[in-house]
Amino acid sequence: MSPTGAPGVPGPRGDGFRQAPAFPEAASRALRDTQLRANLRRATGTIRDKRDRVMAELGDLEQLRDAAAAIKDESLSRLGELLSQVEERVGAAGGRVHYAATSAEARAIVVDLVSRTGSTDVVKVKSMTTAEIELNEALAAAGVEVVETDLAELIVQLGDDLPSHIVVPALHRNRAEVREIFVRRMGERGLAAPAGLGDDPAELAAAARAHLRRRFLDAKVAISGANFVVAESGSVVVVESEGNGRMCLTLPHTLISVAGIDKVVPRFRDLEVFLQLLARSATGERMSPYTSVWTGATPGNGPSEFHLVLVDNGRTRALADPIGRQALRCIRCAACLNVCPVYERVGGRAYGSVYPGPIGAVLTPQLDGVASGRVEATLPFASTLCGACAEVCPVRIDIPRLLVHLRGRAVDEHRGAHPEPVAMVAAAYTMSSPRRFGRAVKLGGLVGKVLGRGRALAGLPGPAGRWASGRDLPQVGAQSFRDWWASERGGRSGTAPLPVAEPLQRGRGAGGPDGARTASGAVQLRQALAWLRPTMQQRAPGVARQVVLEGRDGVMGAISSALVSAPFVPVEVPRHYTHDAGAVAGELLALFVERVAEYRATARVVGGGDVGAAVAEALERTGSRRVIVPSDLPEAWLPPRATATAPAAVQRPPNGGVVFEVVVDDPGLGATELDGFDAAVSGCAVAIAATGTVVLDSGPAQGRRALSLVPDHLVLVVRQDQLVGGVPEAVARLVPTAAQTWVSGPSATSDIELQRVEGVHGPRVLDVLVLVGSGPGH
Amino acid sequence: MRVALFVACFNDLAFPATGRATVEVLERLGHEVVFPSAQTCCGQMHLNTGYRREALALARHFARVFTPFEAIVTPSASCAGTVVHSYADLVQDAGDAGLSSELAGLAGRVFELSQFLVDVLGVTDLGAEFPHRVAYHPTCHSLRALQVYRQPLELLRHVRGLHLVDLPGEEQCCGFGGTFSVKNPGVSMAMMADKLAAVQRSGAEVVCAVDNSCLAHIGGGADRLSAGVRVMHLAEVLASGAGGPVRAPGVARAAPGPLVHRGQPRP
Repeated sequence: MSPTGAPGVPGPRGDGFRQAPAFPEAASRALRDTQLRANLRRATGTIRDKRDRVMAELGDLEQLRDAAAAIKDESLSRLGELLSQVEERVGAAGGRVHYAATSAEARAIVVDLVSRTGSTDVVKVKSMTTAEIELNEALAAAGVEVVETDLAELIVQLGDDLPSHIVVPALHRNRAEVREIFVRRMGERGLAAPAGLGDDPAELAAAARAHLRRRFLDAKVAISGANFVVAESGSVVVVESEGNGRMCLTLPHTLISVAGIDKVVPRFRDLEVFLQLLARSATGERMSPYTSVWTGATPGNGPSEFHLVLVDNGRTRALADPIGRQALRCIRCAACLNVCPVYERVGGRAYGSVYPGPIGAVLTPQLDGVASGRVEATLPFASTLCGACAEVCPVRIDIPRLLVHLRGRAVDEHRGAHPEPVAMVAAAYTMSSPRRFGRAVKLGGLVGKVLGRGRALAGLPGPAGRWASGRDLPQVGAQSFRDWWASERGGRSGTAPLPVAEPLQRGRGAGGPDGARTASGAVQLRQALAWLRPTMQQRAPGVARQVVLEGRDGVMGAISSALVSAPFVPVEVPRHYTHDAGAVAGELLALFVERVAEYRATARVVGGGDVGAAVAEALERTGSRRVIVPSDLPEAWLPPRATATAPAAVQRPPNGGVVFEVVVDDPGLGATELDGFDAAVSGCAVAIAATGTVVLDSGPAQGRRALSLVPDHLVLVVRQDQLVGGVPEAVARLVPTAAQTWVSGPSATSDIELQRVEGVHGPRVLDVLVLVGSGPGH
Repeated sequence: MRVALFVACFNDLAFPATGRATVEVLERLGHEVVFPSAQTCCGQMHLNTGYRREALALARHFARVFTPFEAIVTPSASCAGTVVHSYADLVQDAGDAGLSSELAGLAGRVFELSQFLVDVLGVTDLGAEFPHRVAYHPTCHSLRALQVYRQPLELLRHVRGLHLVDLPGEEQCCGFGGTFSVKNPGVSMAMMADKLAAVQRSGAEVVCAVDNSCLAHIGGGADRLSAGVRVMHLAEVLASGAGGPVRAPGVARAAPGPLVHRGQPRP
């Protein structure tokens, strides 16, 4: 019997975070980890600088952010309808949609789907949602071996560790630690690390490539998350860097994608906004190396069996809160982590939640319920409210406002006879009356005199002791400002306008006229108690619990009741961002070549008659000999004196020299056979100058997705008329349901000390040839 | 102009010199300063710690005390930010439409001191003299809630003898964060340690800001460590030196134009 049906703690406290201490304790511990502090300082600083550089290029950044926020709000306001659309489109495309109201349901669904395949091995793409639902533990308990294939996730998995960042989970490890983990653990789980492995990130990435290669080629089942789910087409989008994602999304027979219901966007066109913002916000790149888009099952061009598991797990609880639900706009870019001064000091694990940093502090308490535990109750307070997060959020989540809002809910849940609420209410009581405040200021002056700089308080329990643990108190003098004013300017004070005795409204009307000079001590005491009473006795009513049924009905019911109780004000999506980069052709070309080269790919402009020679040169440069091409690749794009043939034909140029074996792809070739080729040559659908991206859509001259993935060297040919200025123009040219791969440079990783290494699981070498003019190449 | 001083409770008790300096600066420019003595606290601490009911009562009190005045000036950017921005959310959530419109009218008339001097009065030179090396720390609420940054720098650049130095990583929070400083004292002090290190790298002798709360935190740490750095509110720097009466052109007699916030609205 699968243990996954057992109810677990719902919510984003997945993996090893269950036993996490509350933030203040965990943070104090993290502060003492000097290696962690050094890594965090360097890493966050590096990503911040990169992000600032690429954002500065976007003249329409604010318009893109406006659109992104509005699209996400529109999606949430139409959530039920959009999910139904997804279900219908995915179904029509041969896939299947499953709904999970809780993490337990989601685990049960996925474990069942995997067990039906008969496979006990699963390759997995990094996914926050699967971490949130604690999927790996459930699969392990069901006897399934799960291999995390993202380099950072692999480091975390092999090290029996917890992730510390959304985008770069192994941020807390340095290269020496990674090397040690690889040497010690890789052998237990497959191919061991090579003897004499050094700690250069490129060498470590190569070890990961070798360790996982066989797994990818043999995998029958893969599990992924999703960055976006497009309602109108049923397309799923995954953005990644290393090519491990593409391996999982295209090679196995069965693909199971797990997505939060918040990942849906209405239109394919909406991707033109998010794909411009996501990578720039997340890693400071113009575009991540690979964006995969597919719709349903794609037999012959990817998995024959496709399941999309849509997970609620607290999202509808957040949706019912008209203020807090802004957090559901989140696209998991982690820009807020990288600018957060608190995160920079303590790292992600101190947050005790799969979602760390500022977004975790507002998301986790909402998904779990703010009253569900110490972690959830303390997370909203894990911020100085400095506002740096809101400045960078690409979907304009007002995180400081949400933090304050959730603090309010946390306080209301925990009001009672505790020192803090009593002190806070007493302070408000004092400050609500000028006379009481005046007396308190006088008293404060006296206390200040006695305490001096407060060093004696250090070590005492309570806030005063915590302040004094590292800071002196300000030198409080005997004369307050108001005393000075009264003595210096007594005659011309501006007090007149206040009606002195007007009673102050106290929420529930408990207070009496508190300014009256005649109030006796007893009356004052009664008034003070009246202020305190609600604090001592009342607890704010908890948020009404959704009655969650199972599966689809449960999720849909929760969505509609959330939207009925807290409807959205409908807004038109403002699309004032640039739609047509509009540069003249020559400039576009130069920009494209420059941007491609910045990914450390090779870009060349060639005349129509020279393309074959240029392909040959590119192949020669890397020593690529065995070349695979799609069946409809134009003859002129082949190396001179080579004609594509069926497998095993060898072409020898008459003068000797280079030998190319050019083979036309055949659906019968498996992943292992494809891995036997050195290179692939392919055309494309469209290319984007602003981001240096080439988009393949499995159309003419491209063949299936695996061709541009498995061989280690990829040569892409772009016709000049396929080149557009920006992302929106490219999106307009694409058919949403076509299986797409957006390629921006060779596969790459920055997972080890944020040092960029070109080449992990996808092609390590990328050549882009832009075909200009006319000639046989066209 | 008749200007109502909202001194902020914290300054009233612990930093009266800042209040006196604010009065001095405004009077030097020929304005009449009044101190509505019924004022207490804007409720920022309560609001930001989650005590919304209590904050609401203090917001109500603030509105009652200050509604009669045309211009309300405070030497506390975070308190100004609370009134100008946070009250709107607080009152909206509480569903008090009356108070909401009252505060909306008030918000446009509340100014942080440097904002009032530079943006409203058009003054940048107050005749001050302060011959020291000074680093300006843009506090988070001044920088991000009020977009107050160039105003204090402009004022400091016109102070005689003052050598303004660049503060590395100036936009990084000092770690105070109100009750954060006692709820998470370790993280708070780690941030302060980095801020102090930046100040020391800058070669400054004085850290200047428009929020005494942040300065109490930075200065409290500097004093504990005998770091050789002191903190000082902008108002006190501006009130320093002989500085005879300085009048901005056109301000002394004529009533100024309508008071408007020139900072950008909050995103």
